[in-house]
Amino acid sequence: MKKRTLFLTGLLITSILFITILFFNNLANNQREKAVLDRMNSVVGEYENMQTLIFMSEIFGQDSTCVGLQSTLSTMDKGLWDLGIKIDLYRQVTENFMHDPFYVEQKTEFNRKEVLYFAMLKKMKDMCAINQTIVSYFYKKKEECPDCDAQSFVLADIKRDLENINKENELAIFSFDTDLGLSSINLLARVYNVTSYPSIVVGNATYSGLHNKKETINILCREKKLSIC
Amino acid sequence: MAFPYYPKMNLIYSLIVSLVWFLSTYFNVVFLLALLSRKDELLKFPKLKGNQELPKVSIIVPAYNEESTIEQSIASLNKIDYPKDKLEIIIVNDGSRDNTGKIVNGLKGRSILFIDNKDNKGKAARLNQGIEESTGELIACMDADSEVQSDILKKTTPYFRNKKIGAVTVTVEVKDAKNFLQKIVAVEYAIGLSLFLKVLSYFSAVHVTPGPFSIYKKEVLEKIGRFDTKSIVEDLEIAYRLQKGGYRIACCIATKVRTITPETFKSLHKQRKRWYSGAIYTIIKHRNVVLNSKIGYFSYIVPYVFLLIFLGLFLFAFSVYLGVYHLIRSISFFSLTNFNFLSYMTLNKFDFLTLSTLSFFGITAIATTILSMYICMKLSSIKIKKNLAGVVGFPFIFFLYQIFWASSILAVILRKKVGWK
Repeated sequence: MKKRTLFLTGLLITSILFITILFFNNLANNQREKAVLDRMNSVVGEYENMQTLIFMSEIFGQDSTCVGLQSTLSTMDKGLWDLGIKIDLYRQVTENFMHDPFYVEQKTEFNRKEVLYFAMLKKMKDMCAINQTIVSYFYKKKEECPDCDAQSFVLADIKRDLENINKENELAIFSFDTDLGLSSINLLARVYNVTSYPSIVVGNATYSGLHNKKETINILCREKKLSIC
Repeated sequence: MAFPYYPKMNLIYSLIVSLVWFLSTYFNVVFLLALLSRKDELLKFPKLKGNQELPKVSIIVPAYNEESTIEQSIASLNKIDYPKDKLEIIIVNDGSRDNTGKIVNGLKGRSILFIDNKDNKGKAARLNQGIEESTGELIACMDADSEVQSDILKKTTPYFRNKKIGAVTVTVEVKDAKNFLQKIVAVEYAIGLSLFLKVLSYFSAVHVTPGPFSIYKKEVLEKIGRFDTKSIVEDLEIAYRLQKGGYRIACCIATKVRTITPETFKSLHKQRKRWYSGAIYTIIKHRNVVLNSKIGYFSYIVPYVFLLIFLGLFLFAFSVYLGVYHLIRSISFFSLTNFNFLSYMTLNKFDFLTLSTLSFFGITAIATTILSMYICMKLSSIKIKKNLAGVVGFPFIFFLYQIFWASSILAVILRKKVGWK
């Protein structure tokens, strides 16, 4: 092989390898987006199911529909939680190269769904006497809120502890990204008097600043006794 | 957090990873292509012609405090298969403070010329002194801690029939690799000071004539002004001048020299600091070789390698920075949960889709390194099973390189004195 040919062949092989990596990355990106969309669709399905059940409860009475509602709630709760984690993880993976608008859109959509679910759960809690602690967690991006990631980590850890003992339904955590500019989230923040970040709202009480796991569990247990209290 | 971190860092980091990946993979691929396309010629060397008169060779061995190795070195020289009247051995004592002089005096008898200097002037000066005293057409320079194979002259001297050849290098093998570090270096030498130089010789781009044993045409040495006594890497510096002078450096891997290598990390660091800071001083001194089309591929390959080294070093430092940042961050997060690792590990299942582009770059870089290593092992004298420790440990030498290069660059910037002692 001539020297010139050798250098050109080398360049061709390296470029093919490079393009192959980018191709696989693109393939993985599509799979990530598909996984997020599938989960989002599943959550939307559960949400519509819940709306139907609420509508039915108004016609046929609460007793007959509350059992069905509770089952839908637990599925939706898990679906939303997993979806939130996936969106954050996949966004981290792709943000090395680009600020992918897909994840920003999905994050916005996810937060919209969370607000809806949150409102519905609040309503259901009284209607069907649902025994679940609801936590609303308000956060901002890292640059404006250095402690927000740490608080997210603590809340996720508590949720994992409950999952480990199959009691994840005892706690519903709603993470609201206040940077998205959603009017519903801004309204919620105003209602609960959230002025600094991170802030967690349990019941009607707002707790601002970073709380470690022990402190957070204490806050949660003030509202209702959880299995980890 | 005390550790400054900006989101833009991720993008910069990713771009550097991509660049280093591309440059290093390209280098790797070209190296392998060159090696594989000529693998049948690897062990070939120009044969002696029956009626050809052999050139006279002077072997110069500078020695400084070499009492533990010089006897074996001379013994190996005595076994060289070459007509006695065509071989001259010159041992030049560089003011040794041990028994080197006594040992050589006890051994001489055969055609050994011993120049017993009492003062210490350095290796390059002693090589030049040996050249001054020599009568051979060819000058072989050998380290006093090395041993040559008996066929070394019969396999290297025929190269000089080609008038363009100014020097010939041979395979450098590690003698008695005992510990893990030495076994890794043995693999490094088998690839770097054998196959790598062979491939570079295809492109007339050999950048070093290794000190353990290299053979030069005396006339060429005289023309380019012998060895540079100010250089701490005289074997590298002279290769640059040979290239600039338009002479080719051939590489004969059909024969070898065996040499010792540092036993400890500290001594290896000292050796590499001399090599690498010497390499920096040399490229600065001969900066006119860079992208000089008159010199050929050498003028492109050398700066390419330097670019790769500096980018690699920057990437390494960047990775360490980000690694420490994420480590501190993780520790601070886990400290909030009383270090509840168990639930984190059990519930965070592996998801293939969380592998980023950088992971793909990392995986392919490791794969191509392993492939190159495997091919090199197959083509070299190193047997994988016999040298398993060195083969397994070899990839880690890239981390050591970063440390050595960083300290060498620092030594150059701070103008610290780096030398043999």
